[in-house]
Amino acid sequence: MLKKPIIRTVGAIALGAIGGALSRYYLGQSISHIVGSDLPYSTLIVNVSGCLLMGFLTTLFLGQIIRIHPDIQLLALTGFLGSYTTFSSYELDSALLLQHHRLRAEVFYWGGSTLLGLLSLELGILSAEWVLRTWNHQHFR
Amino acid sequence: MASSPLMALSIASGAIPGALCRYYLTLIFTQKLGRHFPYATLVINLSGALLMGFCTTLFQFMEMSPYFSALVNVGFLGSYTTFSTYQLDSSNLIRRGNYKRALLYWAGSPILGFLCVEAGLIFARQF
Repeated sequence: MLKKPIIRTVGAIALGAIGGALSRYYLGQSISHIVGSDLPYSTLIVNVSGCLLMGFLTTLFLGQIIRIHPDIQLLALTGFLGSYTTFSSYELDSALLLQHHRLRAEVFYWGGSTLLGLLSLELGILSAEWVLRTWNHQHFR
Repeated sequence: MASSPLMALSIASGAIPGALCRYYLTLIFTQKLGRHFPYATLVINLSGALLMGFCTTLFQFMEMSPYFSALVNVGFLGSYTTFSTYQLDSSNLIRRGNYKRALLYWAGSPILGFLCVEAGLIFARQF
């Protein structure tokens, strides 16, 4: 059964998605427990850390140094990171802040998420490139 | 209740179809419209935002079971929409030198997403 590509694809994405969604939920609960839910820090931290990992892993997988099976890539990127980060909660959080007339918090959260998301993704790409360079340097001297 | 096994099961049951819908919709969109603009992620994120606004309001109003709300909102919609792919798409557009498209997509997604959530909230209040 596992030899059928469709079953492997669906299975990889499903496994990753369960891990991603549950990590988002439980991490979010612990974050709001620690820092409070005055601002939606939990979604912010989840999204920004997910972007960092996305930049790092995509670059590392493209680097051709370690060979990762395509099904594992689907599990990690499409399944796990795709489900771990979320766009809909981010927009809902923004809309709720506005509903409670917290305009400054709304602008800070709404704009800050996008800005920090892109920056952390680029940071992930840069760190993976650094890892690949160091690796190359050590092995092809 | 919040950390009960039933809650984890509800979220997981929503997350699987959410991620699979995202994957297959992305495949269909890239096959039909090509790869020069990330239409797929845009459509997925905007439709997910619309549904999120609609469902949260409706479920609150209908006093829906917290497990069912978690299945739809945290599990399905949370996994269906994605923030990391949105940023990766933006970064790829920048790297390919499509600055205009990159800015349009990067700034347009949150603006349109916000409008979609608001539209969903307003639409659900009509019931």
